[in-house]
Amino acid sequence: MQSRHRLRPFAARLALLFAVVGPGIITANVDNDAGGITTYSVAGAHYGYTTLWIMPLLALALVIVQEMSARLGVVTGKGLADLIRESMGVRITTIVVGVLLVANLANTVSEFAGVAASLEIFGVSKFISVPMAAVLVWLLMVRGNYRTVERVFLAASAIYLAYVAAGILEKPDWSLIGRSLVTPQISFDKGFLTIMITIIGTTIAPWMQFYQQSSIADKGLKPADIGYERVDVILGSLFAIGVATFITLSCAATLFAGGVHIETARDAALALRSLAGRYASTLFALGLLNASLFSAAILPLSTAYVVCEAFGFESGVSRKVREAPTFFGIYTAFIVLGAGIILLPLKSLVQVMIASQTLNGILLPLILVVMLLLVNDKDLLGERHVNGKVLNGISIAVIAALIILTGALVVSSFFP
Amino acid sequence: MPYVSQLIGKPVTDVDGVRVGYLRDIVARARESMPLPQVVALQIRMPRGTICVPITEVAVLVAPAIPLMQKLSAIKPHAHAEGDIFLVRDILDQQIIDVNDVRVVRVNDIELARVKDTFYVANVDTGGTGLLRRLGLLRLFPGRKRRESARTGIIPWDVVEPVSKNRKLRLKVPGDKIAELHPADLAQILSDLSRVDGSKLLESLDPKTAAETLESVEPDFQASLVEDMPDQRVADVLEEMAPDEAADLLAELPKERSTSLLRMMEKEEAADVRKLLTYADDTAGGIMTTEYTTVSAGRTAAQAMKSIRLAAHEAETIFYVYVVDRKNILEGVFSLKDLVLAEPGTLVSSFMQKRVMSVKVRESQDKVAQLVSKYNLLAVPVVDDEGRLQGIVTADDALDKMIPTAWKKRLPRLYH
Repeated sequence: MQSRHRLRPFAARLALLFAVVGPGIITANVDNDAGGITTYSVAGAHYGYTTLWIMPLLALALVIVQEMSARLGVVTGKGLADLIRESMGVRITTIVVGVLLVANLANTVSEFAGVAASLEIFGVSKFISVPMAAVLVWLLMVRGNYRTVERVFLAASAIYLAYVAAGILEKPDWSLIGRSLVTPQISFDKGFLTIMITIIGTTIAPWMQFYQQSSIADKGLKPADIGYERVDVILGSLFAIGVATFITLSCAATLFAGGVHIETARDAALALRSLAGRYASTLFALGLLNASLFSAAILPLSTAYVVCEAFGFESGVSRKVREAPTFFGIYTAFIVLGAGIILLPLKSLVQVMIASQTLNGILLPLILVVMLLLVNDKDLLGERHVNGKVLNGISIAVIAALIILTGALVVSSFFP
Repeated sequence: MPYVSQLIGKPVTDVDGVRVGYLRDIVARARESMPLPQVVALQIRMPRGTICVPITEVAVLVAPAIPLMQKLSAIKPHAHAEGDIFLVRDILDQQIIDVNDVRVVRVNDIELARVKDTFYVANVDTGGTGLLRRLGLLRLFPGRKRRESARTGIIPWDVVEPVSKNRKLRLKVPGDKIAELHPADLAQILSDLSRVDGSKLLESLDPKTAAETLESVEPDFQASLVEDMPDQRVADVLEEMAPDEAADLLAELPKERSTSLLRMMEKEEAADVRKLLTYADDTAGGIMTTEYTTVSAGRTAAQAMKSIRLAAHEAETIFYVYVVDRKNILEGVFSLKDLVLAEPGTLVSSFMQKRVMSVKVRESQDKVAQLVSKYNLLAVPVVDDEGRLQGIVTADDALDKMIPTAWKKRLPRLYH
């Protein structure tokens, strides 16, 4: 209670800020979730600065994809699942939503894994932390104070800046970093290729397009807001990629330099304790906890909305549990399953994270192609808002590249 | 009875049994004289392009292959008219409004009914059985066909309204089902629809209904609904709204638009609204209405009754009648009960209450709510520093600021 009181004025000031920024930045923040932090840490620890060059390209790809989803949301006022159902029919909708359901469930599991891992660093058993996190997340919806909570999480996202600070404090070789950012380096080492593809898979995940577009539709943004919404999307994407870059380089500067081998974000936090001090380690763990909790709250909610949007079940309104059984059912099942799987005596949760990224990889090409079709539909968007020739060219190139790379990820995950 | 999903895609043959194409869509026409739209034509997908064949040229509709009466070249294509509904394009997979249950649902299938030799659109299927049938999975659930639950989600056509891209179609339907809904129900439907569909629905209502509906939704949502509406139309609706509600809405709009809207409104209404706009929205002045009833102390009960009958049509409440002097200074109050029980000849000054609970225009809305709950008032008068009556706050408005409107979303939205 004490700490909540102290948080208030800070959260209130941040609330002002978030009246200006919007869905783009929120989506981008959730993007750096447990899976993301793990991937970036491992990349930095194992391959130093050599993966950094993908970041500027990823920023471009992320902006292109998220801008399309923002435009669809702003102009039609509908969620992506709505549009897919109305334009593509029931079969494609069922396939897309079905895979998304499984992928998001796997993602949710990995978020609860992040909760467990981060609190284990502080000596809290997962049998205490995970059930508590599940109850907390579930209550968020029942209490209906989601908007406030979202802002608290986002305020806490300032912790991400700790990665930036940590990166600077570690005095990395800036000129080497600068060169690494613009010089593509390819090694045909299997581990290197896998990590590159995993970075792409975790940074551009399908749930992001659904979540962002529904947020925009819910917020009631209008075509007149499109310019502002583009700024939001670009800022958000750049922030997400910036943080990802700093996570990678701070792990590169310490763990890679020290020759430490890690498997998870928890390993990274523990290794940082000896290399960069207790403070850096604690911040790293707190960042992971915040990201995991926030994403664990958003993914089940977003999934429940997508399913109800697509199939027309009751959601959103002043319905009681009995009146919106599917909505509440999916939300609750996601939290129960997500938390429950963590408590099973499994050896490693790394498999779960990899599985979730593989599923994302299967779904992403499908979503991107569908989005490209929608964004070129003149009946839907009108002459003014469909893709121009240049934008279409870039989009097709980016999407083709993503499809090839995620395809490689999927194939490689079947042949380890 | 046949379902549209079972017919679509069936081969169509001419009189010689030669296949000419496949069934793509079914055209139905709504007529004033008939409660249900009648199937008038079939759209056939051919190797090149499509053709609409009048239903009179179709020998049998429900058949493994649909035979025509003549050769295709001998058939005069169906002439389209306003009011033609393409069932697949306009209804299937789209959202519809269920007028009985006041909700927005998605159409999974459409059921036709045969009366003599004519087919009518009888029901829409919004349930899980319809979904399974569309996916071709119904045979996996053999019990489902017979069970009671198979009929859940099936809604008769005469209680649904399409949320069509082409809303003009709705106006052709006899007995406007939407306009008969209670404004609070309309408000709930608006909140379930996307911004674009919602504002189209609002525009199709008459100004008075639109005004009452808008009064039941939150001001920021009001603003996004009237965003695309022509100014003259918004001005008409604003005139119909209570001045305090109109002021709330105008305060949410961009400055230039609200100024030009005020200019387009009738002088008298605009003046009231202008005055209300000068008060902050969390003060008594900001939530008060200027439509109330006054008499002077020197009148008799009979005269007071007569003047209320003549002048109080616009008033929000007549349960309280306020007594003012020539300078509009508040002197007393009496209730409708006091008035009815008083002898016709009694002077108002003898039965009015001289001690009136009132608030100043700049006092906080919390103060108003406290007075309402402490003294069990139905309305609280608002006075300026000189004691002149400026308006009243009704109990529902005072409490609205404390407790969210009844239909307001209880579940969290993604972004709000």
